[in-house]
Amino acid sequence: MVDIPHKLPAVAPSTESALRVRLRRVRELSASVLANPTTVLGFVLIVAMISMAVFAPLITEANTPDPYQMPRDWGALNEPPGTDGFLLGTTNTGGDVFYGVVWGARTSLRLSLIVVGITVLVGVLVGSVAGFRGGKFDEILMRLVDVFLSIPELIFALAIAAVLGPSFGNIILALAVVFWVKYARIMRAQVLHVKANEYVDSARIIGDSGWNIYRRDVFPNAITPIIVQATMDMGHIVLVGATLSFIGLAEAGLAEWGVLVSEGQAGISAGRWWASTFPGLMVFLWALAFNLVGDGLRDVLDPRTETAR
Amino acid sequence: MQVREYLIRRLMILPLLVIGTSIIVFTLTRVGGSPIGIYLSHEMSQEEVAEIEARYHLDDPLPVQYLYWAGGVLRGDLGWSGISAGPVTQVMPDKIAASLELAVAAGIVAVTLGVGLGTFAGARRNRLPDHIARIFSISGASMPTFWFAIILLIVFWVYLGWFPVGRSTTALFTSIEHPTGLYTVDALLAGNLRAFGDALWHLVLPAVTLGYGATAIIARMMRSSLVEELQEDYVDAARAKGLAERVVLKRHARRNALIPTVTVIGLSFGFLLQGSVVTEIIFQWPGMGRWMADAVLRGDQATIMAYVLFTSVLFLGVNLVVDIVYAYLDRRVVLGD
Amino acid sequence: MSARRWRATALLLVLAMIMAACTSSSDTEPDDPDAPATTEAAGESEGESDPTTGGEAGGDVGEEDVFVHAGDDEPLSLDPAQVEAGEYGEAVILQVYDRLVEFGPDGPDLMPGLATEVPSTDNGLISADGLTYTFPLREGVSFHDGSPFTADDVVFSWDRAMTMSLPEGTADLLNDNVASMQAVDDFTFEVTLQAPNAAFLNSIVTASVAAVVSQEVVEANGGVVEGTPNEFMATNPIGTGPFKFVEWNRNENLIFEKNDDYFGQVPALDLRIEIGPDPDVRVLGLRAGEYDMIETDPSFIGDIEGAEGVVIYSEGLLLEPIHIGLNLNITDLPEEDTIPADFFHDPRIRQAFNYAFDYEAFLNGALGGFGDFNPHYIPQGIFGYDPTAPVYQQDLAKAEELFREAGYWDEGFTVSVITEEANLFEIAALVLKDSIEGLNPNMQIRVLAVAEAQFDEAHASNPVPYAMWVKNADPFADPEAYLRAYAHPDGEWGEIHDFGAGYQDPERIAGLIDDAAQETDTTKRAELYAEVQRLLFEDPMWIIAAQEGVAVAYRDRVQGFVHNPLWPRPNVRWNYFSK
Repeated sequence: MVDIPHKLPAVAPSTESALRVRLRRVRELSASVLANPTTVLGFVLIVAMISMAVFAPLITEANTPDPYQMPRDWGALNEPPGTDGFLLGTTNTGGDVFYGVVWGARTSLRLSLIVVGITVLVGVLVGSVAGFRGGKFDEILMRLVDVFLSIPELIFALAIAAVLGPSFGNIILALAVVFWVKYARIMRAQVLHVKANEYVDSARIIGDSGWNIYRRDVFPNAITPIIVQATMDMGHIVLVGATLSFIGLAEAGLAEWGVLVSEGQAGISAGRWWASTFPGLMVFLWALAFNLVGDGLRDVLDPRTETAR
Repeated sequence: MQVREYLIRRLMILPLLVIGTSIIVFTLTRVGGSPIGIYLSHEMSQEEVAEIEARYHLDDPLPVQYLYWAGGVLRGDLGWSGISAGPVTQVMPDKIAASLELAVAAGIVAVTLGVGLGTFAGARRNRLPDHIARIFSISGASMPTFWFAIILLIVFWVYLGWFPVGRSTTALFTSIEHPTGLYTVDALLAGNLRAFGDALWHLVLPAVTLGYGATAIIARMMRSSLVEELQEDYVDAARAKGLAERVVLKRHARRNALIPTVTVIGLSFGFLLQGSVVTEIIFQWPGMGRWMADAVLRGDQATIMAYVLFTSVLFLGVNLVVDIVYAYLDRRVVLGD
Repeated sequence: MSARRWRATALLLVLAMIMAACTSSSDTEPDDPDAPATTEAAGESEGESDPTTGGEAGGDVGEEDVFVHAGDDEPLSLDPAQVEAGEYGEAVILQVYDRLVEFGPDGPDLMPGLATEVPSTDNGLISADGLTYTFPLREGVSFHDGSPFTADDVVFSWDRAMTMSLPEGTADLLNDNVASMQAVDDFTFEVTLQAPNAAFLNSIVTASVAAVVSQEVVEANGGVVEGTPNEFMATNPIGTGPFKFVEWNRNENLIFEKNDDYFGQVPALDLRIEIGPDPDVRVLGLRAGEYDMIETDPSFIGDIEGAEGVVIYSEGLLLEPIHIGLNLNITDLPEEDTIPADFFHDPRIRQAFNYAFDYEAFLNGALGGFGDFNPHYIPQGIFGYDPTAPVYQQDLAKAEELFREAGYWDEGFTVSVITEEANLFEIAALVLKDSIEGLNPNMQIRVLAVAEAQFDEAHASNPVPYAMWVKNADPFADPEAYLRAYAHPDGEWGEIHDFGAGYQDPERIAGLIDDAAQETDTTKRAELYAEVQRLLFEDPMWIIAAQEGVAVAYRDRVQGFVHNPLWPRPNVRWNYFSK
């Protein structure tokens, strides 16, 4: 068993060759990641869905005044797919399912980018500070982390979102409050791990500044599990977000997949399968794509870590 | 020594964590508005609203309200559940039993499926079956429970009529005693096989829905630890002795690979707990998850607090055990994170 | 050494966990790989009766001796003195308890309940001054626990509600009207009112709060404490009604047994109310035949129509028009709202909203055509409804003109409308949003669809912290009650929404409503109401989206279906049903 997984940068090479080493490593990594067909499948799905999100206004005309609201045609309720220009049919309020699927991708992309962005930033910052400073600060922080972890994330997010009132902005906020904890944990563990290793001690004896140690030794090691976790969370957050809006915590009429499944649920028994099937499938594919890529990355980068929950 | 100190520290800190959690959630439930929204109606005058607030001590400052609640908990009184119109302590045991039964059944699905798939995939690393198994198990983790459940419901309940919703056939289950609240166990204790079959029959769909989600985590761990074990020297030695590959796999590698998987099984408990909210709502399963979602949406504070108390104790306990086991199994891990 | 021991302990713990899983797996495992076997078990349970259940039919599908109803809500309290108006507990109280008089199964006529006669001035049971009501009572009736029913129980029941005077309940109905009561003898009850009230029998004696409880039961279980709910009574109804309460499995079902000694229509079946808040599961369960009857709303009728073995009852209209409140008493609004506090003081704006609303989309879309237009507070089916009264229809040109005149067309506005999520009210709010934004994208409507409790809290506040909200009206049996609550400047909503600040002539409207209340000549009274309706058309305080149609669905095996919108929802009494 190898104790220190990656490199031993005790003797700092010249910066230029370090860059080259890193580039080569990235190339090797991408080659081995892409060697796995399921990961490639995930990549293809991600590219397809993100393109759909980015080019949504070109695919279907944006609704006015708010493009994130479903356009409703009260004269065309429950139309099956393919009728009157409704490619995927309409909902029980005349909403165009195709529009919901396309703009739902945009909604989901917005949701996952914002939440992952905030949580990674906060988590990395908090985890690093806790790991480096140690002592009381670390102790209090970790107990706070424990408190957060003692409530299942969906239920915690549900409680927060319910308190804030139903709106998609509040779902984003609730998810951000809940999800930063994991990153803080990963980051702190990495800091402690690196701190415990000898080469950091020797660096300190030589008189390296804390920032240098952090930049050179801690961050590059910690970034791997963070990237894996963030990739998976890009999918997971959309899944949890859609669950919250399915339960009824997003605003009415939003072009969002969970909202659409919830609206379409009513008609399934009458054979109106389309209004919930397509958006539900999108949530599934979105989460699947990021999970496949995240799993592939983890396989290559860090075969022994398993992400909890 | 290290493990022992760690365990003692964790055990001592556990009540503090529970208190911390309860304070956060208590405050949260009050920020959003009155926890007695369900009792209010527009016909009430200001005085009448004040009267109801006084009944639930809502006119006191927040810390005092919290002390009322905490004092009640110490006396074994968890308050009045507005959504269930009964004392929490009277309603909760049945809910816990219902959720526990579902979680155990789902756990069995997840463990069977997860270990099976993991073994299957690990033994065929990077070949087509491995990829298919991977997609199948990751699909479980990517599946929106609310959608999967609806699809199962439509297919197996409405169209095929194979499985029902709810927890039991009422007529059958009012006929037997319920000492444990676990319907399968109760039915066996009563020696009523039909009731037992009925309870199982009702368990299938929700357990599959819930269990499939946790499958990925277990399968993933099983696969990677099996792959690792298969590269160990003793496996080569066993093969060199001429043992059949199947025997090597089953007797040796799989057995060892199961050990780290066990910790993951513990961790996937969290997954079961939160998946149960949606699963219970859709399958009309009268457990904690559905109770909680109802309470959150209808602002029933006593119920929310009871739920949080229950899950945090359970969750912290399980996490503690998992941490310790993990530390035991892998001494390289630094405890305390 | 000791470290090793700790490790051993830890391992043991894990083993215990696995063992626990395995022991239960021995219970449960046959299940998964063996689905056909369990299906067989189910097949059996459908058919013959089970020896262990004492002759009761097993199996969910088509239980023979039990009427299975899928309700849409869970009760909060089963105590007549505590139950909130419109709350699901009323449905249970209607089956388990009796009142002195009841609405009959076929319409608004009263029939005897625990009283043997309906008091009237003709039969002399109402005194000439209209103040004293005498109720001769049934003899030989007993409560479900066996204790006998006497006039003392009636005095006790009403007195109990009035003493407890719980704010969530409707004790005010009694407290505001009853001056004194007495048990003249064991089977004669007499009540004297504070002032004559023509609606006393229709809206008070028939209310849940007037249901008769057993003095013996209450006194044995906590007695009567002022201002404090009785926990026993809230969860254990013991009345004289057609069904005996058996069990309440929370969030699951309510179980009742038929009362063979009932003095009225004795039920043929036991009753189980499944508590299933998910509307889709209710619909699916009805189609699968597991439920005999379900609660639904018109938007689901399309899903059930044509399903085999399902009957849809959709005759008549509910007496609860769906309305959008316009708040003239704005003190506090969400940040996003840009309207001034006196926005709705201008009648042109109120009219413009009424002209802009797409009634057609709501009625024929969301309600599937089950309902009717009626922008007035005298619903169809109530005395005083004037079929010739002017009716709002969508007229976008007129709406635009009015918004321009009022000065909001060019700059636009943003206003929030609050509603309960996932029901018809939310859809009405979305129709409003599309109507207004479709007219002019500068005029924006934010739909806040919130959980019921949150909505109730906002709706119960005075002043209401939103400019607009969607809900349905409470049902009444008399036009006076509607106009008092929803149109009179000094009435309930007149005060909360400050109608006085907006009516062009508040005194005239108040005067007409007051006069009509005292008018005994029905022709003259109808004329007064017609006049009020014309005035309210010019000066609307609400947008009335539609009067919702009745929509109940049941299996075709159900016999004797009757439905009365004057009974608490779901507007049925199951003792009339058989199958």
